Amino acid sequence: MPDVQSMVAEFVNKLRKRKIEGSQATAKCTVELLRSVISHQRVPHANQAAALIDAVKAVGQQLVAANPVELAVGNVVRRVLHIIREEDLSLTTAAMAGLDLLDASDDDDIDNCKGIGYPAMSAAVVAAAARSTLRPPSLQTLLEGTPESATVPYTSSSGADSESKTADKSSLTRKLKHDVIEGVNQLIQEISGCHEQIAEQAIEHIHQNEVILTLGSSRTVLEFLCAAKEKKRSFRVFVAEGAPRYQGHLLAKELVARGLQTTVITDSAVFAMISRVNMVIIGAHAVMANGGVIGPVGVNMAALAAKKHAVPFVVLAGSHKLCPLYPHNPEVLLNELRSPSELLDFGEFSDCLDFGAGSGSLQVVNPTFDYVPPNLVSLFITDTGGHNPSYMYRLIADYYSADDLVM
Amino acid sequence: MWRRTPSFILDRTSTSPPMAADTTRAPIQNPDSISAYYQTRAAHHGVITSEWLSQAQAAVGGVSDSGDEHPVSSLTELGNEKSFNVIEEFNSWRKQPDLAEAVAAIRALAAVIRASEATTMMELEIELTKASDTLKSWDTTSISLTAGCDLFIRYVTRTSALEYEDFNSAKSRLLERAEKFGEISCKARRIIAMLSQDFIFDGCTILVHGLSRVVLEILKTAAQNNKLFRVLCTEGRPDGTGVLLSSELSKLDIPVKLLLDSAVAYSMDEVDMVFVGADGVVESGGIINMMGTYQIALVAHSMNKPVYVAAESYKFARLYPLDQKDMAPALRPIEFGLKIPTKVEVERSARDYTPPQYLTLLFTDLGVLSPSVVSDELIQLYL
Repeated sequence: MPDVQSMVAEFVNKLRKRKIEGSQATAKCTVELLRSVISHQRVPHANQAAALIDAVKAVGQQLVAANPVELAVGNVVRRVLHIIREEDLSLTTAAMAGLDLLDASDDDDIDNCKGIGYPAMSAAVVAAAARSTLRPPSLQTLLEGTPESATVPYTSSSGADSESKTADKSSLTRKLKHDVIEGVNQLIQEISGCHEQIAEQAIEHIHQNEVILTLGSSRTVLEFLCAAKEKKRSFRVFVAEGAPRYQGHLLAKELVARGLQTTVITDSAVFAMISRVNMVIIGAHAVMANGGVIGPVGVNMAALAAKKHAVPFVVLAGSHKLCPLYPHNPEVLLNELRSPSELLDFGEFSDCLDFGAGSGSLQVVNPTFDYVPPNLVSLFITDTGGHNPSYMYRLIADYYSADDLVM
Repeated sequence: MWRRTPSFILDRTSTSPPMAADTTRAPIQNPDSISAYYQTRAAHHGVITSEWLSQAQAAVGGVSDSGDEHPVSSLTELGNEKSFNVIEEFNSWRKQPDLAEAVAAIRALAAVIRASEATTMMELEIELTKASDTLKSWDTTSISLTAGCDLFIRYVTRTSALEYEDFNSAKSRLLERAEKFGEISCKARRIIAMLSQDFIFDGCTILVHGLSRVVLEILKTAAQNNKLFRVLCTEGRPDGTGVLLSSELSKLDIPVKLLLDSAVAYSMDEVDMVFVGADGVVESGGIINMMGTYQIALVAHSMNKPVYVAAESYKFARLYPLDQKDMAPALRPIEFGLKIPTKVEVERSARDYTPPQYLTLLFTDLGVLSPSVVSDELIQLYL
């Protein structure tokens, strides 16, 4: 246990000092950390899922607080919680189905232990009630009253468990952890493989003799364009340099190394060039629940220009970037202000900069991210395929549970 | 070349014959097709119209001749005891100003269950379906009523699939759920208020149209959380909702400014967001609300201001209006304060339809939804 605590503390430190760059790397490290937390967590025999969920939530809260702007951390913690709930549910339904056969013979015993006040219900009903707790509240669950039915699977499963042999019980404990760790491994694979999955779809979207515009540097976009190049499509790429970090320069270098015809333009030239562009492709930092996109600064300008000239605006995002929260002030709350030294040299401007002492009045704002509202985005390409911005809520319902939204 | 047909010319020539046919075909309908739903709302708001005054005078005079009794007396002609009870029951619940329409409907249906002498689930279902049809046909303009009835019937048909050996325990469970629904309605308002708190930031200006109890709850909660904001209320003719809302808000020390309905575009540039309630949320994700909502949504959309709708989930209805006139007409009397010559027509519709592309987000007790999620929820319920 102390081993895990020190690992968590070390990771929290890294996050706070922004030592890990990129949402994919952050997501992977977070999931691996949570996997160790789960495997080291000792679970009681009853309500093991709840114990795991509490442990993961506690660690998750620390991680999110360390770097609230890196939404991938929160996303991935919620994915793990969803996996735990799903595995628990499938085990419970399997257990109930198995014990249904015992029910017929041991009626009296089971009736005694189930004398908690609930009428005898069939396994199908219990499973249906439990399944409804996993989905977000909906119109049909409105009249059934979800909180009551949520306790049913736990009490009846623990009640029924005590009836069966103890060997069964301990194997059930190990089974949950085992299944959860399997699910988490799958999640790690999914995160690692997101670039390939997205790049596979490149051939459908990029056609012969097209001109693509991109901004800044994203590994997903790089893989996407190179995959289309592999399939013998010839096209040109305009790269907006993405001041003040000028990561567009790095991307341009990589693209040329792979044999693509590239042009570097300044950010301010985007509107001038947009009429000659067939498609804008950018990589997102995060995708919000309403379909809005958090991307590198300058992306909103490209999106507005694209809208004006009816150019399709395509956003590439791995599933770990999909966030279940709604943005209510993303320009401020989900943004990070970097050092002004990227924009201005200290030596030249130190006499006019406003350090709070009152001598200068020059302020420098250097935001990292930009928010693009959903009506400017044409298509999202994730590892599951291409989607409309208004479809994001479906993916969120698949990947996350409603109870985990507020940690 | 293809202009809209001047149908008003055709309408004028064929007025008398259809009227007589209508009254005989639907005896349970309200007279003059005045929407009972909007009349009740006006009663809640304490709007004094000349009609109300004449009714009050007549009541004092000893001759009870109020509008509500009209449909009831026509019902006794049918000689159907049960439907008589349902509508009376519903009206008595509906009169309470703080109770939502759908809750009143479900309580009325619960009363039907209580009074029923059925011995099987099937019989009970049939009785409930008949009672709900009666309620729906009595007031075709109230969407929450229709949605509430449908929800309850849906629930009943699904519960009966869970094999209860004992009919009485099933019946008591239904009654218990119907009672609980009343609490859910209050809880829904609080959940919605909680969800929308993050969207109200310090120093913002909110435009509100209509007097929605949910929106009032949202603003109350924000004031309790010590947020600094100000509210612009539209006057809301003919109900005068603006004056009522502003008096409620000034009690909470929220700075309020009243606008004429026509001053919305003039003030829209200083507004940060628009909050409205909904009488009903339709399948496309659009809303049906008090007259003027569509206008405000159009202006807000053209100036890039977000329009937020606060609605409980039981207001979701299986309607898909294609344009403004595609719904059952809901008319209400409008006072102009001056004498109108008899030849002059008045547009008396009480509500309009706002298409989903002008709405930003819906705050419901199912969570924060974008308009495209509404049809998904409806499919899940009715599948």
